[in-house]
Formats: sequence, C-alpha cells, structure tokens
Amino acid sequence: MKRLLLLLVALSALAAPAAATAHPLGNFTSNRFSRVEVAAHRVYVLYVLDLAEIPTYQAGRIDARAYARRIAAGARLRLDGGRATLTPVATALAHPRGAGGLYTTRLEVLLRGPRLSTTTRLAYEDTNYAGRIGWKEIVVGAKTRSESDELRAYPKDLLQSPLDVTSVTGQLEPAGGSPPRLATGKTLEAPDRVADAGFASLIGRERLSALVILASLGAAFFWGMAHALSPGHGKTIVAAYLVGQRGTPLHAAALGLIVTVTHTIGVFALGLITLALSQLIVPEQLYPWLNLVSGLLVVAIGAAVFRSRYRHQRAHSHGHHHHHHHEHGAPGRRSLVAVGISGGLLPCPSALVVLLAAISLHRVAFGMLLIVAFSAGLALSITGIGLVAVFAKRLFRRASFEGRLVRLLPAASALVILAAGLAMTVRALPKVS
Amino acid sequence: MWRRLVYAGAAAVLAAAALLLAGSLRGERSHAARAAAPFAPPSTPQAANVERLQATLRTDPTDAKDWGQLGLAYEQRARETGDPAYYTKADGALHRALRLAPRDPVATSGLGSLALSRHRFRDALRLGDQALRLAPSSAAPHAIIGDALVELGRYSAAFRSFDTFAELKPGLAAYARISYGRELVGDQAGAIAAMRLAVAAGTAEPEPSAWTHWQLGKLYWATGRTKAADEQYRAALAIFPGYVYALDALAQVYAAKGDVDTAIDLEQRAANQVPLPQFVAGLGDLYRIDGKPKAAARQYGVIGVIDRLLVANGVRTDLETALFRVDHGLQFRATLALARRAQHERPSIDGDDVLAWALARNGHCTEALRYSRLALRLGTRDALKFFHRGMIERCLGDSAAARDWFGRALALNPHFSLLWAPVARSLR
Repeated sequence: MKRLLLLLVALSALAAPAAATAHPLGNFTSNRFSRVEVAAHRVYVLYVLDLAEIPTYQAGRIDARAYARRIAAGARLRLDGGRATLTPVATALAHPRGAGGLYTTRLEVLLRGPRLSTTTRLAYEDTNYAGRIGWKEIVVGAKTRSESDELRAYPKDLLQSPLDVTSVTGQLEPAGGSPPRLATGKTLEAPDRVADAGFASLIGRERLSALVILASLGAAFFWGMAHALSPGHGKTIVAAYLVGQRGTPLHAAALGLIVTVTHTIGVFALGLITLALSQLIVPEQLYPWLNLVSGLLVVAIGAAVFRSRYRHQRAHSHGHHHHHHHEHGAPGRRSLVAVGISGGLLPCPSALVVLLAAISLHRVAFGMLLIVAFSAGLALSITGIGLVAVFAKRLFRRASFEGRLVRLLPAASALVILAAGLAMTVRALPKVS
Repeated sequence: MWRRLVYAGAAAVLAAAALLLAGSLRGERSHAARAAAPFAPPSTPQAANVERLQATLRTDPTDAKDWGQLGLAYEQRARETGDPAYYTKADGALHRALRLAPRDPVATSGLGSLALSRHRFRDALRLGDQALRLAPSSAAPHAIIGDALVELGRYSAAFRSFDTFAELKPGLAAYARISYGRELVGDQAGAIAAMRLAVAAGTAEPEPSAWTHWQLGKLYWATGRTKAADEQYRAALAIFPGYVYALDALAQVYAAKGDVDTAIDLEQRAANQVPLPQFVAGLGDLYRIDGKPKAAARQYGVIGVIDRLLVANGVRTDLETALFRVDHGLQFRATLALARRAQHERPSIDGDDVLAWALARNGHCTEALRYSRLALRLGTRDALKFFHRGMIERCLGDSAAARDWFGRALALNPHFSLLWAPVARSLR
C-alpha cells in the first residue's frame, strides 16, 4: 500500500502546474536606454524607447519625428559644464508583438551633438518619461556593454534590481570612424518582449554562421529537453500509461517519436493557421480549444484502459482456477499512438513564437529546423521518463511484489491518466466558453 | 471488499487531486494589485536594504535567511514603486530561500503576502497556515491568514486572526487591520480611531506611513468628510511624493469640488505612472463628466487592453474590471458570467456586491436582491453598496425602499461615485 501511495505521489508530482510565465518587465513599463558616444568627431546619443503593451496603446499612433523632438529636448547633455543641444537625425520605429495579440513599441532615435576635438567632461541626464515605471539605463562609449542589450534582453538575475540610471558623468575622448546607425528590420523587430525570450531570442540573431546555426540547434535541443521536464507535456500520462500497460523500452521510444512528430506537426499547423487567421484571431484564443481536445483525448484513453482493467479484474476474481496473474498483451498500437498524440498535440507557445518570428524574419527553414531540434529534445526527455517508468515497473515486479498491489497498479495508473485528463479538461473548459 | 475500498479511496484521492490541480492550474496572475497592508517595516530605507542584501548574497549565495529577507525587501519595493517586476524577483528570491531551507517560516509567509498581492487568496491562506505551523509563535502569518479570509468572505475567522495578530504585534499593521474590520461591520468612528492609531504608529519608512494616511483619508471620504480626507491625502503625498493611490484619491476630491481640470491632471499622473484599471477608469469617467466622450472612450479602451492582458495571463475573474464593465454597460451577459466567477473565487461582500449589481443590470433583480443582502450582511456602511441596493429595489418596483437607499447613500457620502452619485440624486 505504501509503495502504491509513493508511486501515486510521484506521478502526481510530475503533473504539478506550471507557474504562470511572467512578462519580462510587466505590461505597463516604459523602458529607456541611452548610449552616449563619440564618432566621426562628434558626440552622438543613441536613444531607445521600449514601451510595453499598455503604454503602447495609451500612446496611440506614434509620430516618430515628434517623439524624437520631444526626446531630444528631454535628453540633457552638458559638455565641460555647458549645455549642448542634441538634434534628432534619424529614427526607427517598430511594433513587436506582445502578449494577448497586442503590440509593443520599439523606437530608436539617433541624436547628434556638437563636434568634439579634445577630451571633454560629460554630464548627461535623461528627463524623459520621468515617473514612469521601467528599466532606465545609460552607458557611455560605443563599446560599453549594455546590461539589457539595449533593451532587447532584460536580465533575469534575482540579485539585480531593475536598473534605474537617469544621469551619468564621465569623460569623452575624441574619436573618428563613422556615426552610429540605428537597428533595422530584423534586429529592430526581434520579438524581445515575448515571455519565453530565451528560446525565442535564438531566431533574432543578425548573421547566421554555421557555428551559430549548430549552437542554436543544440540550444534548441536542450531547451526542448528542459521544457519537457517543466509541467505539462503529458509526462504523467506517458509514465502512467507505460506502467499500467506493461510497456517495453521499445514502446517508450515509440511514444517519444510520436510525441516529436505530433509536436512538430502541431507547431507547423498552428503556425500556418495563425498566419492565415492572424487578422481574425489571436493564438491565445486557439490554445484553449487545443487544451480541451488534448484533455478529452486523455480522458478517453484513461477510461478505455480502466475499463479493460476492470473487466480483467472481474474475470479474474470470478475465475475458478488460481493461476498467477498472467501477463497482459502489450499496449495496442492504436492506443499507443493516441497517447503519443495527446502528449504532443499542444504546441509549446515558445515553439510557436520561434516559428512565427522565423517567418516574419524570412528565415522559415531555419525556424523549422529549430522546431525539429526542440521537439527532438522534448521527445528525448519524454522517452527517458517513459524508460524510467518501464524499468521502475520491472524493478517493482522483480522485488517479488506479487499479489494484490501489482494487480491494482494498472487500474491505479488508469485512474491517474483519467484524473490528469479530467484536470486538463476542467482547466480548458472555462477558457473555451 | 478490501480491493473495492482501495479502488474507491484511490478514486476519491485522484478526483480531489484533479480538482485541486485544475484549480491551481488556472494560474491567476494579477496586475499590480492593491497593495496589501505592509507589516514589519524595517527602519532602513528599502532601496538601500535591497542593495545591501544583493551584495551579501553575491558573496554568499547559500544563506537562506538573506534570500528570504531579500524577497521581503523586493515585495516592499514593489509596493513603493508599483513596478511588478519586483514581484517576479520576490517570487524567485523566496523560492530560492525555500530551496535552501524548505521549512523557513519567513520565506513561507513572504510567499503568502506575495500571493495576497497577486490576488491568489486561497494560496495565501494555505501559505499563511503553513507558515504558522512552522513557527507557531510568530505574528506575521496571522496577518496573512486574516487578510486572505477577509477576501474569501470568512469574516469571523478573519477577525479572530486580526485580534491574535494585534495581541502578538501591536503596531501600524495591526491597527490598520483592526480599522478595516471595524469598517466592515459598519463602525466608521471606531475604524477612524484605529487608523489614527496606525498613523501615529508610523515608521521612518515613507510608503507604509503614506499608506495609512491614504487609508485614513478614505475612511473620512466614505463618511462625506471631504476636507479631512483632503488633508490626509496631502499628508500622504508630502511623505511620499507621487504616491499614486493618494493622487487618485485627491483627484476625486477635486472632482467633488467641481474642479474637473485639476482632477484630470492628477488622475492622469496616477494612470501614467501605474495604469491600474481603477485609475484608468477614473480618468475616463472624469473626461466623460467633462464632456469629452472621445478622450473618455480612449481611456475605456485602455481597460479593454488591460482586460486582454489579464486573459492572456490566465486571470479570468478580476473583480475590478468586472465592476468597470457593469458600470459602463459593456457586454452585459458576458460580464454577468464574469461576475459570477469572480464572486465564486472571492465570496467576500465586495464579490457579492459586484454580482448583485451585474444581476440587476441584466434584469435579474430577485436574484440580485439576494446577493445585495449578502453584500450588506455585516452591516457595512458603504454608499456604493447602498446605491446598488436602491437600484435593485427600484427594479423590483419598491420605489419607497429605493428612495430610502439612495437617501442613505447620499447622506453617507454625497460624492460616493462620479457616475452614480448624480443618478442617486436624481432618483431620490
């Protein structure tokens, strides 16, 4: 009994719910970044404004030039104590997709200051958007590292408060070279703000060397593996199914393969649907339905397994001869496929983001490759879990653990599947309505 | 026989687990929620405290106590700045503390107060109970348990927790809770007296002190003492410049005095800093009474955006946006379903009141009356709840009772709502 309980606990622990993924800096931040540098014998300020969903909506239609003029007025530059004027010379505006089908804003403004021929004391203050919540960062020098990669990737370090730098002092050395440039297309549009930015940021890179591609594929693979260990993804179901159905390592591998294929197809299909319907619906509205379908599928599988167990039990207890608990047929091919599909049907949002980003960046092939690597990682983890379940099961049996408990195990595992399916369905139902 | 019992038992356990799982899977995540009453504010300013703890933990990241303290400090920073990024960091730091010391009561109750800030009241209750088991003599868990119980509508148990908390740790946080309890049972004078004690117990830290002044101001405001309220809001702003809750409250004072321009200016500042639904809706209402329907519609649109974000984050039961939608007649029937869910999640008198109001606006006035009675079951003297009751009585055809409720609402606070006080006046 104790072992049965332990097993149940272990299985339900696998099904523990995911913590809601938080938006990197919250939906109402106005984040700003300034880079003060000298190039072509002039002082330049690269100013970046990153507005989250709500301020973007509040701003309405953004006139980049008017914004640039206002930002120039609020960016106070002092050289050797004297006020120097900054003139906007270029702007770049993009509206990366945010949460809930809403848009965010990324505005880059290049401000040109006076000519510089000697080493000069610098004092710079950003008075724009005072009082607004958000990341505030200033760096001096063309090569100086930005902690947020110029508002592209906000550090998730727990020991780092949101940066709140609105003024700096320093020294500027005269320098030649060409004036700084604003980001264009890909880097400007990169889906920085999306919650699962770790995987999604892979796609945004500007140049793709073979090494970068390999590293990205590797990263996607490991990301998929790690992702499978996060809650969801039918691990519970896979494990419970294999335990209950006398699965073999081969079955575990087959399950992993089916999950990969389903997941890959699911992401591609959902990506295509999203593209086609992007004017009509947001993917968030599609997810509840997929959740519901997976849930119902799992319920059906659980019920079917439980029914066959129950019948078998009854046949057993009403039988006249007392032979050992005989081996069951291995899992049927059809139910194996069904379990695998239910495990992989629901595409991970981050995988979908990658594909959509790839499409918007015209790197469809690369995006698809990444998805395949991601799914393969996912499958490896799930297969691993399946194998653990299979071997744990064998261990249990070898420990001459005969009798009622082992006979109860398949029924219990059917109940676990049923419960997981019910939980998925219950969870999905209110969202669909 | 034995086998059947085990089957039944396992089935029951699993069903319970499934329901529990489904409940927690909803993943409620809140906008920067109404700041929970702060407790145990250390005397050092939090920003410096945060930096000190960060530095200590960089050299020794294995100290569970420091991680717990950092988590609490981040929570306080979230209340001070309104920046929800601090809630995420607090969550991470507290979980780190619990990984190092799984039975740490401070980190556990820290997660409890975090759950309160995120409007996860059932989680908060569970964490508060857990913290109390880990440290039976500590005070903080009683505050968390009490706060959660209030929101879950379990008032007598909540008040017992508040009393225990006050015995163990008299001070700002305890007096503020006693005041809240008295306000709920309709003892306005007693509530004011307790909140004045809380103000007097104020600490060197600006945010908790500003919070108590704001609360005291709201108590004065709720009984129509506009001038006293105005003084308290200004005191809050003097202690904590730009304190958004006081800006929002002061905007209502100016609107009541007829100075809508200043009111709009103040509300705009609050909504710009932290676009909470109530600020944005307030700004829209101000534009509306100022005869600028376009600007009002723009602000109401922001609420729609906030709504969409909440849905994208898995929050389906936000009481504040439900009230907004009922007030502004948006999607009556969908909103009724929303209000039902909200009341189910939060069966407090506020949940009952919003549901009653939603039912009334949908014409289900008999059922509405039932929930209005529930909303007033404690004897709370809240002009808005009185007004809602009046509208329900009116809908049921009892115009004498309706006029009586409108009169009571206006007698309590003639400026109880930008939108509805004029309606109450015209129907009285």
